[in-house]
This record gives sequence, C-alpha cells and structure tokens, in this order.
Amino acid sequence: MDTKHAHGLQNLKGQRAFLVSPDASLREMLQSIWPEEVIKFTCFEYGRGAIEFLLTSPPDLLIVDNRVVDIKASEMAKLVKSENVYRQLPVIICLDETDLEKPWDWDAIEVDDFLLRPFFLPVVRDRVNLAMCRALRALDANPLSKLPGNTSIIQRIQSLIDRREDFALAYCDLDYFKSFNDKYGFSRGDEVLMMTARIIVNTIRSFAGEKTFVGHVGGDDFVFITPPDIVEEACKRIVFSFDGIVPNFYDPADRKCKCIVSTDRQGNIQNFPLMAISIAVVFNIDGKLKHFGEASAIAMGLKKKAKENPKSNYVLDRRTP
Amino acid sequence: MQDQDLKTSVKGQILSVTDLPTLPSVLDKVSKLVDDPNSSTEQVAKVIAHDQVLSAKVLKMVNSPIYGFPGRITTIQHALVLLGLNVIKGIIISTSVFDIIQQAMSGLWEHSIGCALASGAVAKAAGFEDPEEFTVAGLLHDLGKVVTAVQLPELNAAIQQTVETKQVSYYDAERIVLGFGHDRINAWLARHWNLPPNVREAMTYHHHPDRAQFYQQTAAVVHIGNFLVRIFEYGNGGDDQTAYFKPAAMKVLKLKMKNLEPVMDELSEQLMEISGFTF
Repeated sequence: MDTKHAHGLQNLKGQRAFLVSPDASLREMLQSIWPEEVIKFTCFEYGRGAIEFLLTSPPDLLIVDNRVVDIKASEMAKLVKSENVYRQLPVIICLDETDLEKPWDWDAIEVDDFLLRPFFLPVVRDRVNLAMCRALRALDANPLSKLPGNTSIIQRIQSLIDRREDFALAYCDLDYFKSFNDKYGFSRGDEVLMMTARIIVNTIRSFAGEKTFVGHVGGDDFVFITPPDIVEEACKRIVFSFDGIVPNFYDPADRKCKCIVSTDRQGNIQNFPLMAISIAVVFNIDGKLKHFGEASAIAMGLKKKAKENPKSNYVLDRRTP
Repeated sequence: MQDQDLKTSVKGQILSVTDLPTLPSVLDKVSKLVDDPNSSTEQVAKVIAHDQVLSAKVLKMVNSPIYGFPGRITTIQHALVLLGLNVIKGIIISTSVFDIIQQAMSGLWEHSIGCALASGAVAKAAGFEDPEEFTVAGLLHDLGKVVTAVQLPELNAAIQQTVETKQVSYYDAERIVLGFGHDRINAWLARHWNLPPNVREAMTYHHHPDRAQFYQQTAAVVHIGNFLVRIFEYGNGGDDQTAYFKPAAMKVLKLKMKNLEPVMDELSEQLMEISGFTF
C-alpha cells in the first residue's frame, strides 16, 4: 500500500486545524493520521484559549470536543458559524453516546459533522477528509452554474502540469454579452450563461471515456480541458450549438434583425450583433508548460485574436510543436 | 356551475399526468442510440422528433426552471444539446409503454407525425427560416388527446362514443362531453410545462389561428398542416370527418392556394417515406 497517500488528501497541503479537547488520545490519533505538511494541528485543552486564536487567525478546520469544560462546544460552533467571515470554516463536533440521548437541534448548532466515541481511526480520517473537501467544493462552485471555480481550475491545471500530462486548455467567453445584459437585464443575462455552461459541459461530456474538465471562471468566462486530439472537434461543436441556440434568447424583433440597439461603454447608442462565443486554446505537450500562469498568459493573447472576429470562432495556439 | 366543476377537476387530473404512452418501436430505437457511445445527438434528435410524447417530455424538461432558461427552447436538437444524453437516458427510463393504448394511439401517432411534416413543409413555403420550430408545434398539436386518453379513460370512451353515434368530429365531441376541446387541454399543459410561447400558441390555437395573440403565424402553419394531413388520410385524429379549413390562416401567411400545390407534392413523398417507419 502507498503509505505516503494513506491519509487520503493528495490534493491538499498546508492546512491548519484547531483541536479543542481535553482528550489526549484523540489528539494523538489525529496527529498520527496526516503528516504535518498536509494538516498541522494546533491543540487546546480549554475553549477560552482557543477562541482568541480562532478569531485572529482562523484555521481551515475546527474540531471541538463536547467534553470541553469551560465553554460549551455548541457555543464555540455557534460563534464561528454566526460570523459570515468564518461561516465557511468546517466545524466537526466530538460526542459521547450519552450526548445523543436527545436529538440535537442542528439548525441552531450549525456544525458540519460529528464524530462519536469510541473513535475508530478510519472513520475519523474519512469524516475529516470529507468535511475538508466538501467545504472546498461548496466555497469554490460558481453560484450560478454550480461549476467548479477558480481555485479548482488552477489546482486542476497545475496538477496536470506537474504530472507532465498532455492536455488542451480552452478559454471561452462571449462577445456582446455586456450589451445583451444592459438591454435585457441581468436575469436574462444569467439565462444565457446557464445555457452556455450546459452547451460546454454536454459537448465535452459527449466525448465518452475522455478525461475532461469544465470550470466557470466567473461572468461570461468559462474554461475546459480535454486531451489535445479532440479539442478542435469540441470547439467546432460548441460554436455550432451556441450559434444555433442563442437567437432563442432575444426578443422576436431583435432576433429577426439579428442585432440589438444598446449603449456602448462610452454611453453612445449603437447596434450590436447577436452574441457569439470566442474560444482560445493553449496546448501543453511534452511538458512545455511549467506553471499555470504561462497557460493563462498565452490564452489571453490568443483571446484577443479570437475576439477580432465578431462571429463565433476558435483559435488554436499554433506555436505548439 | 356544474360545468365549471368539471373543468376544474379535469384540469387537475390532466396536469397531474406523469406517464404518457410512447410507441415501443420509438423507445427501442432511442434506447439503443443512447446506449451507443458512437451515436450523435443529431441521430437521437431525429428519432425523438418522431414521437409526440417523447418530444413533449424533452421540451418540458429543458424548459423547466431547473435549468435556468424556462420557455426558451423550441427544437429537439437544441434540447438534446442542452440536456445531455444523461438526462435523455433518465427520460427514457421513466417513459412507459402502454400496450393496450398502443392500438388506439397508433392512428393518432401517425396523424401527429404527418402533421409535423406538413407543418414543416407549409412553413418552408411561407418562407420561414427555422422550419423545425413549426415541425415541433405540428407534432404536439394533438397532445391533449393523448393525455385525455391516459388520464380520463372514461370520458375518453364517452367522447369516442359521441363521435360514432352523433357523427361529429372529435373536437365537437370533446366539447359535447367535456365542455371544451383538446386545444384547451393543450393550453394547460403547455403553460404548466413552460413550453416556448410560439409552440404554446400553436398548440392552443391550431383550430382558430386568428385568435392567437403573438404567434398567429405558427398557429396558422399548424392549422394548414393539420388540414393537409387529413386530406391525405394519413393516420387518424380520432374521427373520419373532413377537416374544416379557415381561409384566415392562408391570409396570415400571405399564401395563395396555388402555393400549396408544391407543398402537397413534397408531403405526399415524405408520407410515403415515413410509412415505412411505422411497425
């Protein structure tokens, strides 16, 4: 068995956790599961001492034991969860069986999970791992499309670069989205973003059995990753579907004249064509890229080129050998 | 008062419809395509577009608020791109086949697909760009009849009885028995399912295109399509009456009778072709 990865958190590093518990055996168990460079535990026997640190330098995870005597564990959880800046911090509460004689009001005590004595190492390990991953996912998902956001995108690209895997990275954005949003309002703008997200996801997924990824940077910016050999076909299909579907989102009159009248960035009234999708594709082949930043810099350059064309189109990074 | 009560209770029953029959041959074809990783959305869309019930389900799904753009998507091809094959698989699993109804329905099934083709041809003759939107409207124009058959079997039997004994059209029989026709049922369903306004109006006003508010043209196309497919006696809309024809529909589309001649030629060819598609 690969002991290095036995803790189950390959993609996380440098996480800080607070344990508030008088139970020395629990402390030892937790510290034995994850190497310090993955999760470093700071341990407190009493609640009072922990609270000060909790508010001044919040950790990435809080585990609090109901056996703590000076402050109720539920109070500590409430303190963290009622402050919006700490709300995303995952909190796990440790209980004895007698604590569960009556049902808890989880609505009032907004912890993310609980651990029950006697502690069983594999369960403790995986409950904690799950809580950490769930918190990251919830934090990073785009609230509109529910697609993974920047943190996950960067992590995915960097880990592909680190493993020297060949891939194609595509940046998509919409032309004339702003004028559409200005004319029809943001809720109709959101409809278009939802539609775009679904076209990209379903097109990429239709390449059965390929390793792919779709993320939503924000606004009208999307990212997808595919193996290099299928990316051009994917771009073609996305452009085709987008151009076919987008007229449905305009009022009949605008749809008919294939343009809208709206104000531009300088405040002038102007005609804008129907929205189009531009895609810029960067390749990483034979470990050409070393860092995520290189990929996005190349892509931004290509995007300008793609944008020169008012119609939907894609540009591939031809500098690739 | 009693009339009002029947309307309310029937409406409730109609809208609670969860399961509509689909022809087994269509379902088989779609299932096989969806399970084959090499098949394209175009292929799947083509088969689904031959079945009013599957088409209605797909459009209902893609236009539901869950996906965030209710009432926007008119064509099956676009619906498939936006739903993805996973969801289509789910729709297929949840679609059942009613063997008993199958017999009674197959005439209506042929009538509907005939009307879909006819509507597409009329739309083309009238110079519309996207004939597929009109095809969908034509396909779904009698969906209310299917729903009545499934949800209200006793009333449906009474309607059929009335067609035979009084020698009236199915539409008139519906109004004698229910107090309203399938066009009203279509209107309920289309609104309940967030179908796009042009499809909704065609489903609601295909008997009276001049009453449509915003999409008279779509309703007129389906009205003429419905008439043409009856002339060809392809399929069965529930009776063997000659369909009536509203000249107003031609006016809305700025068509002359002679413009329909090439449409009828094209249609007769297409109907020959798809007659092989039936079992």
